[in-house]
Amino acid sequence: MLQMKVRGLMFDPYNNAYIVILRDEDTADMLPIWVGKSEASAISFALEGVAAPRPMTHDLMKSVLDTVDAKVISVVVTDLKDNTYYAKIHLQHEDSEFTVDSRPSDAIALALRTSTPIFADDEVIRKQASDELDQWLENLKPEDFGKYET
Amino acid sequence: MGPTSWGRWIRSPRVHELLTCRPVTVSERVMEYQESVDLVRLKVHGVLPDPNTETQIVILRDEQNADILPIWVGTAEGNAIRLALEGHVTPRPMSHDLIRSFADHLNIKVSRVVVTDVKNNTYYASIHFVSQGSERIVDSRPSDAIALALRTNSPIYVTQDVLKRRGGGNLDAWLGKLGAKNPDKYQA
Repeated sequence: MLQMKVRGLMFDPYNNAYIVILRDEDTADMLPIWVGKSEASAISFALEGVAAPRPMTHDLMKSVLDTVDAKVISVVVTDLKDNTYYAKIHLQHEDSEFTVDSRPSDAIALALRTSTPIFADDEVIRKQASDELDQWLENLKPEDFGKYET
Repeated sequence: MGPTSWGRWIRSPRVHELLTCRPVTVSERVMEYQESVDLVRLKVHGVLPDPNTETQIVILRDEQNADILPIWVGTAEGNAIRLALEGHVTPRPMSHDLIRSFADHLNIKVSRVVVTDVKNNTYYASIHFVSQGSERIVDSRPSDAIALALRTNSPIYVTQDVLKRRGGGNLDAWLGKLGAKNPDKYQA
């Protein structure tokens, strides 16, 4: 498993979607995850440390966990099938641990709000064709970066 | 307590359930009475796209269809509510499915959600849940509260005060115009 940092969030003009870029600091492996507009905005709020006037969905998620003293231990991007990523959230409550299935966007939005490490399975990194990604990234113009809205 | 409100209180499903399932404490009776007076139970009537803006309108109605409360929400929030109304199961869990699975694992039961306030056309809500016998309350946007309530079969309430203060003027005429989209399709 590789520990990933959220490297950034960009707008993909070709698919009219947003891409969360996860990157392993040591190996420089990258994992681009395509997400919708509202998922991107949930992640960007957390990345920029902006507090919304009212709790957003993932703030609510965190406050539900906080009230019963449940801790998020880690989130893991576990699989990639037909261009769809799958993730799991590991939690601890009292003396027991449990795991919940999640979309990567929810897992990442929650991880950023709870200062929880984000991991990716080696297998996922292997499956994801990084050559293709590099090529794709090279074709992007500088103005495509940072085009997300909050 | 007048005869009418007492009758309404004694016949409310929650009270009936309490009376028939286990002994009821005095404080519970007081709470239930308070609830039946201050809070109005709502059901989600439907979710409509607002043709004028990029938002959606969640239509809440009371059980007698006498009062109506429209709440404007974003597209994603509207979709989260619509998915639950239609009983649609997505291949991967959506955000509110995730909250429900947290609740299931943590032995948390959502007991009710309440639309508590409206300020400058912005509605506020709270989610009540029971964990290890005690009640906890967290703040929420109404859209999250409703999306979660539908997924946990929890009742949705609004305070009498909010219902009174909701703006709208000639709401029925306005909704009539929107009615082309047939909200009954989503009747809960």
